[in-house]
Parts: sequence; structure tokens; C-alpha cells
Amino acid sequence: MKTTLMIAIIVFSTAASDILIARGARRVKRLSVFKLSEIAVMARRILSNVSLLSGVLMAAVSFAAFLIVLSWADLSLVLPATSVNYAIATLGCKVILRERINRLRWTGTFFVCAGVALISLP
Amino acid sequence: MKTVTVLVLSVLFQTAGNLLVSRGMKQLAATSPWETTPWLSFSLQMAASPSVWLGTLLLIIFFILYAALLSWADLSFVLPASSFGYVLNVALAHYLLLEPVSMSRWFGTMLISIGVVLVSMTGTQSAELVKEEAVSQSGVPG
Repeated sequence: MKTTLMIAIIVFSTAASDILIARGARRVKRLSVFKLSEIAVMARRILSNVSLLSGVLMAAVSFAAFLIVLSWADLSLVLPATSVNYAIATLGCKVILRERINRLRWTGTFFVCAGVALISLP
Repeated sequence: MKTVTVLVLSVLFQTAGNLLVSRGMKQLAATSPWETTPWLSFSLQMAASPSVWLGTLLLIIFFILYAALLSWADLSFVLPASSFGYVLNVALAHYLLLEPVSMSRWFGTMLISIGVVLVSMTGTQSAELVKEEAVSQSGVPG
């Protein structure tokens, strides 16, 4: 039960982190990583972007929860279980970021989800 | 094309960064296990490890590239598409570190590859999806 709860926390904080970072990045507007002069401007924009920073915070939460659950649960259980994140995050993309996801993209995402789960098994 | 370039670069930086940090931490743990070493001395040793520094730098570059990518591409595209990093990890572990790779792991690698190909076929932005759907459903009032 404790393990299930921790896995749920990991999955949701990872998905939240991805969605917040994506929302933040979209607000920063088009970034050019190829121009050195724009990196300083970009760094300032990133540091003043609440969505992006909360995304990073959620990534830290997910990492902490991951380390804590590993103190009693097996990695071979935790790692495959967290691959559900792909489905949850894609659902978040649809509902929160209003991305249009067609059947092909869903199918691909489920293949990835199953593949990541299989790879993480011992 | 720009999306694919930045995506591949970000995954390469992430994989290299993870490998370096992992190598640095393992070297550190071999000389001073963190259970018995005081945390301050452990942190100082960590800060003195070139592998950890270089790995962290690569992970920072990964994050900048990832954020840049998400500023124009869909997360629902980037997330599954970047999972080819797992395939890369399995291949590197097998060919460079000579780790044995089980049957189920190769099968998982295959599933991820199929998934990445399928997701890539949908384009990188919802705008393109919308256009595609409009073309395929032309004649149907929306």
C-alpha cells in the first residue's frame, strides 16, 4: 500500500513536472539554442518563469520520492511501474496543454509505455 | 529537421551526463561509502570529482535543449520520441560495458522503437495534426 502510494506520487510528480516545463517553455517563446547571445536572455527568462521553476521543483519531488521508495521496495518493481507516466503525461497534454493527439500518437505512446516497462524488468 | 536535431542532441547529452554522474558516484562510493562518511566530507569529495562535474554540466545542457524543444514542439510528441534514449542505453550497456541483455529487454527495445516510429509519423506539432486531419476528412463539415 505504502509502495503503491509512493509509485503514484512518482508518476504524478513526473507527469506534472513535464507538463509544467512544457507550459513554461512555451511561454518563454521561441528559443534559439544556436545563438550564443540569446543564451543570457534565455537564462533570465527561464529563471523568472514560475511554470518552469515549479516544473523543476516537481522533478526534484519525483526524484526524492524515487530514492525514498527504493529504501524498501525493489528497483525491478518500481522502475517498470513508473512507465505508466507516459500515458498519464500524454493525458495531461490533451487535457491541460490542449494538444491534439490522434489515434496513431496514442498507439505509439502505448508501445513506448510497454517497451519501457519490459526494459526495466530484471 | 530542427526538432529532430535538437531531440537527438538532448538525448545524447542526457545519456552521456547520466553515465558520467553514475561513474563518478560509483568511484566515490568505492573509496568512501556514503553510509559511513560524514555528509560534509562526502559532499566535498563529490564537488571534487571531475566526472560528477562534467556529468552535471552535460545534464544542464540537456535541460536547456529540452526546454528549447518544448518551446515549439508538442510534449505529447517529445516525451515518447525521446524514449529512444532507453534503446541507446541498452545498446551502449551491451556493446561498451559488455552487459548481458535479456530476451525481454531486447523485446522491450523493439516495442519502444516501433512506438517512436509511430509517434514520429504524427508530426511534431498539433497544428500539423490538425491540418492532416482536415485533409483526410475534407468534405466532412467540422
